[in-house]
Amino acid sequence: MENLQLIIPELFISIMIMFLLIFGVFKKNSSQLVYNLTTVSLVAALALIINLEAQIQSSLFNNSYNIDSLARFMKILLILSGIFVMLSSSKYIQISKISKIEYPILILCSILGMMVMISSNDLIVFYMGLELQSLALYVLASFNRDNLLSTESGLKYFVLSALSSGLLLYGCSLIYGFSETTNFNQIMVNTKEIEYGLTFGIVFILVGLAFKISAVPFHMWAPDVYQGSPTSVTVFFALLPKIAALTVFIRFLYIPFYELGDQWQMIIIFLSIASMVFGAVAAIGQKNLKRLIAYSSISHMGYALAGLSTGTTQGVQSSITYITIYLVMNLAFFSCLFMLKRNDEYYENIDDLSGLSKNHPLLSLSLLVVLFSLAGIPPLAGFFAKFYIFVAVINEKMYFLAIVGLLATVIAAFYYLRIIKIIYFDPEKEKFESKHNLGLKFTLVASTFFILAYFIYPSGIVDIISQININ
Amino acid sequence: MIAHAIVFYIFSLIAIVSAIMVTVSKNTVNSVFFLILDFISISCLFIMIGAEFLGMIMLIVYVGAVAVLFLFVVMMLNVAQQKNEWFNSSGRSSHIPVGLLVSIIIFFELIIVVGGWKYKPDLLDSIAIEINTDLTNTQSLGSVIYTDYIHLFQLSGMVLLVAMIGAIVLTFRQRSGVKRQSYFKQISRDRKDGIELVDVENNKGVKIDA
Repeated sequence: MENLQLIIPELFISIMIMFLLIFGVFKKNSSQLVYNLTTVSLVAALALIINLEAQIQSSLFNNSYNIDSLARFMKILLILSGIFVMLSSSKYIQISKISKIEYPILILCSILGMMVMISSNDLIVFYMGLELQSLALYVLASFNRDNLLSTESGLKYFVLSALSSGLLLYGCSLIYGFSETTNFNQIMVNTKEIEYGLTFGIVFILVGLAFKISAVPFHMWAPDVYQGSPTSVTVFFALLPKIAALTVFIRFLYIPFYELGDQWQMIIIFLSIASMVFGAVAAIGQKNLKRLIAYSSISHMGYALAGLSTGTTQGVQSSITYITIYLVMNLAFFSCLFMLKRNDEYYENIDDLSGLSKNHPLLSLSLLVVLFSLAGIPPLAGFFAKFYIFVAVINEKMYFLAIVGLLATVIAAFYYLRIIKIIYFDPEKEKFESKHNLGLKFTLVASTFFILAYFIYPSGIVDIISQININ
Repeated sequence: MIAHAIVFYIFSLIAIVSAIMVTVSKNTVNSVFFLILDFISISCLFIMIGAEFLGMIMLIVYVGAVAVLFLFVVMMLNVAQQKNEWFNSSGRSSHIPVGLLVSIIIFFELIIVVGGWKYKPDLLDSIAIEINTDLTNTQSLGSVIYTDYIHLFQLSGMVLLVAMIGAIVLTFRQRSGVKRQSYFKQISRDRKDGIELVDVENNKGVKIDA
């Protein structure tokens, strides 16, 4: 097993999980220490992934675990967002009294599951990774167990997610029955003709995956879970599982079932249009910022799926670019949310932002940048993200999808602009605290800078992504 | 061969009937008993097709652990008295018609799916993998799990670890003001610390101050 070195990042994270667990149990009051060690080990894992030779293309364990350029890029993205989530939420978990040693360990477990999902080239491996990540997420969602909303969100997520996992497994078994294998490449070889069973299998698996990235009509859990779980967990929900699920989407659609494109293309287009429109319309009436961002992320996932629905390499690359920029924007938004703190209490309603610009000009400015970018206004990063998607879609002559997408952007711009109006033109309220820890400040500055400066050198990220080949 | 078929049909009939009884039985404890019966007949079916290891594991894990655990939970939560009202409530619940409709649709979809499978002629030939009869079930299962699927085996370990951490996080409460036993303190106590010998004078008694 000389190529075991390819999964050293995964092995490292698993070992760190077990080490930190033992360490935390035997050393009293070590929750903060374990938290910091977790961040450090994520940085180390990032270094290990980058250290793997670039452009390496190989698979392990009977071709069921793929280490290729897609996996490498997505894992770097995953770990980076993990590090920033940890940095920005360290103060929050202390103040909201959920600072236990298990919290960072569960986050590590979830990240491990996502890494397995990203690399999976086999239905079983994919399913195991999915279960590992969602099992940790159930617990994280209800981590603040004395809070009614938190327990409710955990239970809701658990029940609905278990149902979707059931559908997904059923789809896996159908595909196994008809193609006699669970390996993605082998499925492609064995399925040359279309059969009902295969189509059913694809549909069931797509349902399960759409649930994980909360695409309409499988989005019902998202607003409640986003609102109910602690904000530090909400950031995690909004960023990391989307990366993993989108990667699986790409692999699943473009490796085994690329030939059956006409079978799944309509489904993805439907999911995409429904998510874009519903996310934009339903967010209008929201009063809670976390609920609002839940609907906003539903809408954003619609755009990412629009890129996938084209069936071209350009479309996939535009989706990957979209998710990258989406991550940065959401990270910036949540860092702003973490700063709305007064007397050890966090505020998360839109009304609380009223007149923020008078007391906190810098925070309001970065919130302005983030919201403009989320709305897709040039020259910010969010505009480019949508631009790539629309170019890819129009190149495939899917004009209807492009028009609906543009209209949904206009609707969505309304509620982003409404928040900006509240920040800048409404009567001011009491001041928020202006002292924040370094990690949070760094996260906000870095992500806002990325959004602002993206247009100067847009080809930087596009070049990296264009080297990703799927097949 | 005919005896084999008869036994097969008896076990399958028991399995199906008891599976139905699990859901319709009014008493929850009876439901669990039917569940156990269902598991046992399925494990008999496994043994009949020569998968003795799976059959035994089925007995040990599902009957021995899971079902008994269910039984404990049902008895401890005292839900035995609660009647299963799913099929008694007259028209009040709107779940049943919707659920029935959905299940009928899924049933017909399944007929289509299985039909396609059944009438695809070359499928059965192509999955006829050569079976190595020299190895027992346990040996061949072991060699697959610990070589081909070792990564999945390890991952399931991680899943179980997460389940354990989760159960502890969500249920463990550190209560304050609880007097705990300290074995070390108890053992290292000296005789002198605990006992005081006093000479008691006649008709006077002793004054004890704690």
